[in-house]
Amino acid sequence: MPLNAQISPNHLSDAPAEDRLAFAISEVARQFPDRTAIVAGAGSDGPRTIDYGSLAAAILKLEAALDAVRPVGIVARAKRTESLVVIAAACGRQHVPVAFLAEDSRDLIGELRDWVAIDDSLALSVDPTADRRLFEAVATHVVVATSGTSGPPKLVEHSWDSLLAAARLAEQWHGLGWILVYDATRWAGIQVWLQALLTGGRLVVPASRDPDTVLRAIVAEEATVLPATPTLLRRLLTSAEGALLAKARLDRMTLGGEAADGPLLEQARAAFPEAKITQVYATTELGEVFRVTDGLAGFPANWLGRTLPGGARIAMRRDGELLVQLSRDTAEVATGDLVEKRGERYEFSGRRSDVIVVGGAKVFPQRVEEILRGVPGLADARVYGLPSAITGELVAVEAVLTDPLPEGSTPESIRAAALAACRSGLEPHSVPRIFDIVRMIATNPSGKISRRPTSART
Amino acid sequence: MTSTTSIPDAIVAAIAQVLHDTGREPSVVEPRMLLAADLGLDSLDLAQMIVLLERSLGVDPFRAPPPGAARPAVRAVADLIAIYSQPAKPRSGGGAG
Repeated sequence: MPLNAQISPNHLSDAPAEDRLAFAISEVARQFPDRTAIVAGAGSDGPRTIDYGSLAAAILKLEAALDAVRPVGIVARAKRTESLVVIAAACGRQHVPVAFLAEDSRDLIGELRDWVAIDDSLALSVDPTADRRLFEAVATHVVVATSGTSGPPKLVEHSWDSLLAAARLAEQWHGLGWILVYDATRWAGIQVWLQALLTGGRLVVPASRDPDTVLRAIVAEEATVLPATPTLLRRLLTSAEGALLAKARLDRMTLGGEAADGPLLEQARAAFPEAKITQVYATTELGEVFRVTDGLAGFPANWLGRTLPGGARIAMRRDGELLVQLSRDTAEVATGDLVEKRGERYEFSGRRSDVIVVGGAKVFPQRVEEILRGVPGLADARVYGLPSAITGELVAVEAVLTDPLPEGSTPESIRAAALAACRSGLEPHSVPRIFDIVRMIATNPSGKISRRPTSART
Repeated sequence: MTSTTSIPDAIVAAIAQVLHDTGREPSVVEPRMLLAADLGLDSLDLAQMIVLLERSLGVDPFRAPPPGAARPAVRAVADLIAIYSQPAKPRSGGGAG
């Protein structure tokens, strides 16, 4: 059986955006109905395999139901990724708006008045007395809840065009195995399953986000493409069993959502020497702005003031904030991301909103984390601001120890060494004052490092 | 997180922890001692002590002073003992998140 799917990229991009997912799945199903589309529960004892044929059949069935009822919109309340795919594809081709609500945004369902929920049964409860809505030739949209990192979650409407804008449809992207470590109902997760299934690929959904389970899934299902945040990648590299890590073979890593620092990129290269590392710089408002493919942290210093491939221009404000102008016709936008020059590169020093203010002095949490991650015995660290009535905020750390610990060291000796390293490398106000050792770093729902205080002390 | 630790003991332990964490020599602590002049503690040290004491005693009298009250003045170890000995509403949990 040929490895690559027979969906012509041109043919695919000729289809209206909302039809493309259903079109791509039915094309593969027509030629290779038994080809695996999704492996769910991967990395556990009982993974479930869903082939393109059954996915396409489920889409057609739901399309018929949607066509009969023509609801105002559909809320995808399914837990299984394959159900989310079926709902998205059917709603797209039937021009019915669809909303994805993650666990923490279920309360927002009240905003979607008269929308109909569909769960994993994929059944559409039909009210036979209801009037059948006429087809409306308006742009069908997709509603996705924001993660609520910088405020309560809210619903944001996207067009299918913008949802698919970042999808790579060229031949080289066809038939690959994609591992899904993001929440399938969030923007980043939706991007991964769309990408995998638009290109006849195999979507591998691990049974949990536990690093060992994710690696077992990668190994068992031969997933070769890992889209992740640097935090999720670091967790995989530092917390998973060494033997499993040695068995995994990745061809590509696509990092986004936050900045990757030099040591993480080196670690990733050491663990997966064959893998091509792409760092995607995107913002919620602008979408993807640029990609860095040279495997180094930040971006080349000579990119400032230039028009980059894709048409965006980037500049830096005096205070270090990155400014982006997507095209000549659009206004310059302040990104909230701070950059600083290091040699021939600009590297990200953090989000403006992540800066901790201690007695009026600024602390960049990423800088502190970089120092901590260089301390033998520390696998990872999360730096955040703890509110203080005396100094406004106080620098606090949650650190994960390596397993095993370096010979001759104890948690207490590692803690002391970490604080000593901070004292010698940082201004006094930046040195962490609260230092907790935890089993795992807290992440927010998008898989990024959380900058909020938690009570997850161990 | 309340415990049966006595307030003076908890304060002495917090001072010892702060001195240790900042790489300073341990010191004998007496109630009459001045935090800054005798023990060399600054506002950052005090802020750290308040978090440590919230964890050991379950209260932060600095975060929620009684209505209308100014932030209590803290100069000596004895001031801290007095502030933490005032009846206060215990807080549950460790963080604001």
